[in-house]
Order: sequence, then C-alpha cells, then structure tokens
Amino acid sequence: MQPTTRSRRSRGRLASSATALAAGALVLSACSSGGGGGGSGDKSEGPGTDKNTSSNYSIGTKEDSAGPAPEVPGAKKGGTVGVLQRDAFLHLDPGQIYYSDMLANQLLYNRTLTSYKVDDKGRVKVVGDLATDAGTASDGGKTWKFTLKDGLKFEDGSPITAKDVRWGVERLYASFETDGPLYVPQWLSGDGTDFRKALPDGPYKGAHLPASVLDTPDDKTIVFHFRQPHADAPFATAMPNIGPVKAEKDTQRKYDNAPFSSGPYKVADYKVGKSLTLVRNENWDAKTDPVRHQYADRFEISFGHQYADSTRRFLADQGADKNTLSFTNAVAPEMTEKVLGQADTKARRFVEIQPYVDYISFNMDRIKDASVRKALAYAMPNGQILQQMGGATAGVLATNYLSPAMDGYKATDPFGKKAKPAGDPDKARELLKQAGKEGQEIVYAYPNTDLQQKVSVVVTQALERAGFKVQKKEIDSNTWRTAIAEVKNKFDIYRTSWGADWPVSSTVVPPLFDGRQIADGAQNYGHLNNSAVNTEIDRISAIPDVKKAAPEWQRLADKIFTEDVPGVPTFYNTQFSLWGSNLGGIRYQPVYGTVDPTGVYVK
Amino acid sequence: MLRFLARRSLGALVIIVLISAITFALFFALPAQPALMSCGKNCTPEAVALINKNLGLDQPVPVQYWHYMAGIFTGRDFTVGHCPAPCFGYSFSNQQPVWGTIVDRFPTTLSITLGGAAVFLVVGVGIGMIAAAFRGTWIDKFFSSLSLVGNSLQIYFVGVIALAVFVSGLHWMDNPAYYPITENPVKWFTGMLIPWLVLSIIFIANYSRMTRSQMIEQLGEDHVRTARAKGLGRRTVFFRYAWRGALAPIVTIFGIDLGSLFGGAIITEFTFSLHGLGRLAVSSVSETDLPTLMAVMLVGCTAIVVANIVVDAAYAVIDPRVRLA
Repeated sequence: MQPTTRSRRSRGRLASSATALAAGALVLSACSSGGGGGGSGDKSEGPGTDKNTSSNYSIGTKEDSAGPAPEVPGAKKGGTVGVLQRDAFLHLDPGQIYYSDMLANQLLYNRTLTSYKVDDKGRVKVVGDLATDAGTASDGGKTWKFTLKDGLKFEDGSPITAKDVRWGVERLYASFETDGPLYVPQWLSGDGTDFRKALPDGPYKGAHLPASVLDTPDDKTIVFHFRQPHADAPFATAMPNIGPVKAEKDTQRKYDNAPFSSGPYKVADYKVGKSLTLVRNENWDAKTDPVRHQYADRFEISFGHQYADSTRRFLADQGADKNTLSFTNAVAPEMTEKVLGQADTKARRFVEIQPYVDYISFNMDRIKDASVRKALAYAMPNGQILQQMGGATAGVLATNYLSPAMDGYKATDPFGKKAKPAGDPDKARELLKQAGKEGQEIVYAYPNTDLQQKVSVVVTQALERAGFKVQKKEIDSNTWRTAIAEVKNKFDIYRTSWGADWPVSSTVVPPLFDGRQIADGAQNYGHLNNSAVNTEIDRISAIPDVKKAAPEWQRLADKIFTEDVPGVPTFYNTQFSLWGSNLGGIRYQPVYGTVDPTGVYVK
Repeated sequence: MLRFLARRSLGALVIIVLISAITFALFFALPAQPALMSCGKNCTPEAVALINKNLGLDQPVPVQYWHYMAGIFTGRDFTVGHCPAPCFGYSFSNQQPVWGTIVDRFPTTLSITLGGAAVFLVVGVGIGMIAAAFRGTWIDKFFSSLSLVGNSLQIYFVGVIALAVFVSGLHWMDNPAYYPITENPVKWFTGMLIPWLVLSIIFIANYSRMTRSQMIEQLGEDHVRTARAKGLGRRTVFFRYAWRGALAPIVTIFGIDLGSLFGGAIITEFTFSLHGLGRLAVSSVSETDLPTLMAVMLVGCTAIVVANIVVDAAYAVIDPRVRLA
C-alpha cells in the first residue's frame, strides 16, 4: 500500500510519500499517546508497540462476516462530516487506488469480496464483505471460492452478482488500469505486465477470462484459479479493486470521476482536485455489511489543506470544524506541543503505528563487502534520525526490517539499536578495521527536503565517527525516487521506505529482497540477489497457512538483515491524528494506517 | 490604435509560442518520469513503457509538442474520447481534461486577483497621495513607516497570524474559502476577505511608496509650478496635474502585478487553502504533469502579455504626450 503523500505528492511514489507522511507527523519528543480506539481517550491495543501482535490479526468466521456491523455506542444518525485532506485524490476508480488516503475514502462507497473488521481493541479480522466468509481454499491454496451474500445492491438498486465482481477483476487487465495493486490478476494470469496478454482489452470487447482461470458458475459464486498457492488470498481480495463494477456503468477511464457505488455512500459531486461530496446510498443494506455504518448524512471532503491548516482548525474546534476530521493529515509538527498540552484534545486524538518503515538501503553492487555493510548498520544512528523526523509521535525506533504492524512481528534487534540508538561507532570501526576498509568512502544520497537535510547531518556525523568518509549527494525530491530506483545508480547508501499491502510479510520481504525482482523502478533498492534467499521466499510463499508463514517471514527477514545486510531500518512510522469534538466513532484503521471513517457519527 | 493593438498582439503571440516551446523542451530535460506517477507500487519497466504509450510520451518530443499546440486550436482525439478545442490534453496525474480544471480554478484566481488588486490599488495609491500631500509632516512619516513595515512582511506570515487571530481566536471571520459569486455573493465576499486583506498588505506598501515618490516628483515639475503660478486651486493642481503625471508608472507596475496574479497567487492560495491556478501550477510541477503545467503556463503568460498590451494602450489615455504609432 502506498502512504498518502502526495506530496503528491511529489507522489514520487512510495518512498517520498512516506517521507512526507513522516514529515507530517514530525513532532517534539517525549509525547505520550493520546486517545484512539473509538475516541475513548485510551490508547488502543492496536499494533502500536513493539510486542508480538500476531494475536491482533485473524481470519474471521462466517458469523464475523455477517452484517450488520456492531453498533457504535452513542452513535446517532444525521449530520455532515467534513474531511480536510492535504492532497487531492488521484483516483476514485477502485481499480486505480493504492494510496492510503484513497484507501480510507473508498471504504465509504466501495465494497470488496473481503474486508477488514477492526474492533474497539484494534484487533483485525479479515471477513467476508460481499462474500459470506473470507473464502474457501482448495487445491492446496491455488483455488479460492467466494459466495456472495443475499441482498447486495448497487446504488441504483440493481443486484450485485458474481458477474459484476468478475467484470471488476477483468477490467484490471485493460491497459489504462495501471496504478492499483495487481496481485489478483498477476496471480491468475502472469507476472509483471504479462497478465495483460490474457485479456488485452479487458472485458470491453466481449472477451472474458476462461472458467479455468476465473469462474462464475452462478450469480452467487466466484472462483479464482491461481497459478500458485496463495494463502493470503483473503487479504488480496480485500484490496479495493477486487469488488463489483456494473458493466453498463463502466465508463472505463471516466469511471475515475464517477464510480458506481456499492457501499453506504455514493458520489454526489466531485470537483477534481478540489472537493468530493458523498451522500447516503439508499440502496445499501446495513444487514449485508459487517464493517460499515451509515450514520452521517454526508461526507464533504475538501483538498489542499496543509497540516498546519487542518491542525489549526481542529484545535480551534469552532463551528462546522467541530464536525471535521482528516483521513490522513497528521498533526502539524510545530503544533504538537500545543495539541498535547490542550486538555480537550485528549479524547480526540491518537498516535498509532503504521505499516510503513523507513530504511537506509545499501547498494550491494557498490558495497560488496558484507563487513562494510554491517559496519554501516552498526553505525547508523536510528534514534537521532527519528529525533530529526519528529521523535515519539513521528515514529518508533526500528530494530528489524518488519513493522510492528505486521502479523508475526517479533522485536528482534540484531544490531543492538535499542541499547545504542545513536549507533555503535566502536563496533563499526572494529569491523572496518578487520575488513581493512578504514576510511571507506561512502556516497550518501538523500532528497533535498528540510527533514532529510537534517537527517543527513546526523547520519554523516555518525558514519564519520565510525571511520567512514561520507560524500553527501543531495537530490531534488521530485526526481529522487527515480534516481535511487535506477539499478545502476551511483550512490552507496540512500533513504528508502516501504509499506505492506496487508499485514502479512509476503508483501514486504519479496518486493524488497527477491533478487529476481531487481529492475529499474523496482523496490529491491539494495540489489540483494541471493539464491538461497530467493529459494526461501518461494518456500515460505507456498506455506498454505499465513499464521504459520508469519514467523518464517520474520526469520528470513532477520537472516537477511544479519547476513546480507542490504540496508538498515531506521524507524517505524506513526500516524498522529486529531479531529473535531463533535464527532464520535473515530478509530484507527491499522492496515491502511489511517483514520477509519466507517463508524463515524456526528454527536 | 487598432494597428498598434494588432502589432502588439502578433508580437505577444510569438512570445507565447516561444515560451511554450521552451517550457515543453525544459520539461523533457527533467530526469523525472511522469509514468511513475501512474505506475502503482510494484512498477516494472514494462509497466512504465505501457503508461508512456498511454500518455503519448513514446513519441518524439517535437511531435508531442505539435500535437499539443494543434490540439488547442483544433481539438484532439484520445483513447478516452474526443477533446474539443481548446484542448490542453488530459492531466497525466488524474486523467482529467486540463481545460476543465483550468476553467474550474480560474474563478478563484480571478476573485483573489481582482478583489486584492482593488484593495491594494485604492488604499496604496491613496496612502501615497496623502503622504505626498503632507510631505515632511508626522502624517507622511507615519505612512512611510507603515509602508516600510508592510514591505517587510510576508503573506505566509501575515496570513497565518490573521487566521489565528480573526478566525480561530476572535471568530470574527469565516475560514477562507471560494464560493461562486453567482451562487452566494455574501459568502463569496466573506470567504475572500482575509485573502484580499493579507494580499493587499504586501502590495499596499509598494504602491504607497511609489505613489508618494512619483507625486513628490510631479509636484516639483515645471508644469505643476506653472499651474500654481496661474492661480489654480491646490486640489486642481494636485489631482489634475500632478496625479495624472504620476499615474503612468503606477499603471505600468499595476499591469504587470495584475498579470502575474492572474497566473496564480501561489503563496496566497497555499496559505488560505484556496484552489486557484497558482496551486495548480505547483502541483503540476511536483507531479511532472506536463499538460497541466503547459496550460497553466500558457494562461499565466497570456495574462501577463495581455496586461502589458492594455497598459501600453492605457498610456495613450493617461498621458496625451504618448502617441501610438
């Protein structure tokens, strides 16, 4: 998943996006967590600490998948919820959605085969959304069958059938659908862009995928025949693009302006780049939906609100701003102290950990000696980097590659970052000496944002203390992602980041460390290509139980970190949110790392 | 006059075409890849190639430029459908017709510009004239000092203070927002009031200082002295002789300022979360959105060029000594 940026964003994609997010969460130190968990004032038990949070994720039962969603205590119907967003949404078409802000937004008008049910304690269950349950696997996990519930309707009252879900999946094969996650079509028809060859025009010229690939034997049943076993299929089918699209309403590219709703709200007015108004979808039936509510009459979303602007308005808490929230705008760094010091904000704020991790990647094509890479890892001042990014409400010091938001996370710390958050220059110097690389020159690239310039100072100082000679390369933030994603780049180390698409590490370890995925623009930034790692990735991917795979992913990630060292994680991002006092039912969506709008009501 | 306008318009057209060509060429000198904006997270070179094809970026730059410019006058056909003239293409970042976005954003910019300009012109010139009329007195010193303070302020500073005090603190005003004047004139006015005032604070300083110095210079001119010697009243001398002479340079600067603001009051728009052409320009640069960037640039460039032509034409009205050949 992509965190919102948009510094649009430069939406210089993921890494820069996460920078912007982290920047937004920049704060001063020693802040305690605020409210959360439904605005109760208590920190939720979501994955906000570095304990093993496996128990927070599970696959729900058929009963869990039945609607309606549990009532939010004290919830009332009516009113308008205002939403202030910094970046305009790039897409409304669920097929194109990947950023966290749009992921949160689509929950209001788009339903998917499965979805995430988050309870008051922050525990997450993958449940059937359109489907009666989270799917039934056969053929060793290669075939997944979903049965649709009764009473599902589009916004015009027409029934949602398996054919509509099929259409929704098949349109992802069309050449214009490039921005969204492509797990399911790739699992069905081919890796990379090869899957498009199976249906080059999507469903638009009458062709369809054969039943041996995607089958809809009746109006209620949809069967996916994947090429390989995929234990995490119920997570993949919770992505926004695995849902229904009514063929008659599919305007292809123009669908991005006016998606046809299957959720509790529908698009009433959309001014691209300025505002979006969602109103009640009268044909949505709460009895079919285990996740969403329809308390407010409408959501009025406006864009272009810098963090300082939204924070000022939430703090002032006047007039219509009392009914206002943001899906992703963080508390402005300069206002953190004020927010934390203003007593009335305690019940209307939270700080929660996100699935995004910041790294400093090591270019293994240039730094070939593992001892040097280990020395870099020991020397890296994670604590100081986090401090520059804002301290306690901006993130949590990272000790290994996987975020605490991941299922199966263990707080391993092979380089002793907890004990020595400022780095271990002595150990690093010793390793360099043993390798005969004292005074090794390092070309360190970073984007020219204010925050990263500050970070560059502490990184440079720490590496020089450890005996490196650092050559800093400042890169324009708009072109930075392109520069570091070039395989033959001329840099030794550079800041990167990654966010999981769902809380299973199959969406982290393969893209970051599978040597077969090294390519310009790809995310194996360290260029690790270890056949043993590649083989292990294949083995774990084939484990049919995600719960059993989770600790295996952690073990592999730690092995890579300890032996290959293609980079060092620096901190786990957090989301620091504040909202107006007249709203209730706000909770954290731990998979997207955003405010969850599905249970929001106006008091 | 008509000949003058025709000649200037022709020259302006050449300038606009030249600037558009330079902008287009500079865009492709950037190392950024627009395709990455629409490539999802697991982007591959094949996916980038597909998007480049979708966006028409797989064609030679001169061909792309020709198609772009021709589309403005003749319209273009895209896979998504026909784009009627004036067609500025589809945005790379959100796949929306650029012209629709420009039309949507322009009223906000127009409102900021005209309202702000009215305030800073009237108040700025007024203060300058008062200071000149009372040259050397405490009134002159007071206004001169005030303009110095205004000159040293920045919109992003004054704007934030104004919001904190008048909106969040005292609740005297609404959060700035744009409402179409045709739908709700009162809301349009109240929503724009703070941006106008803040924008004008910066400009008032310039205009008052310039007006003061021009007026003082004009008041010392021979023809003004002659007018006084002829026994004309102080008010007549001040307004009919001195002010008219001082007006020409003020109009020149005003024309340039107005043209620039039409291109987008970037800082004002960002400070007050308004959606005008300035914000659109910034986002198109950061998103490497060439069609939008070109459109905003062309609108801004046209505004400045047209403003200059209007200023030149206005000279003839203001100062009869100027002849339009």
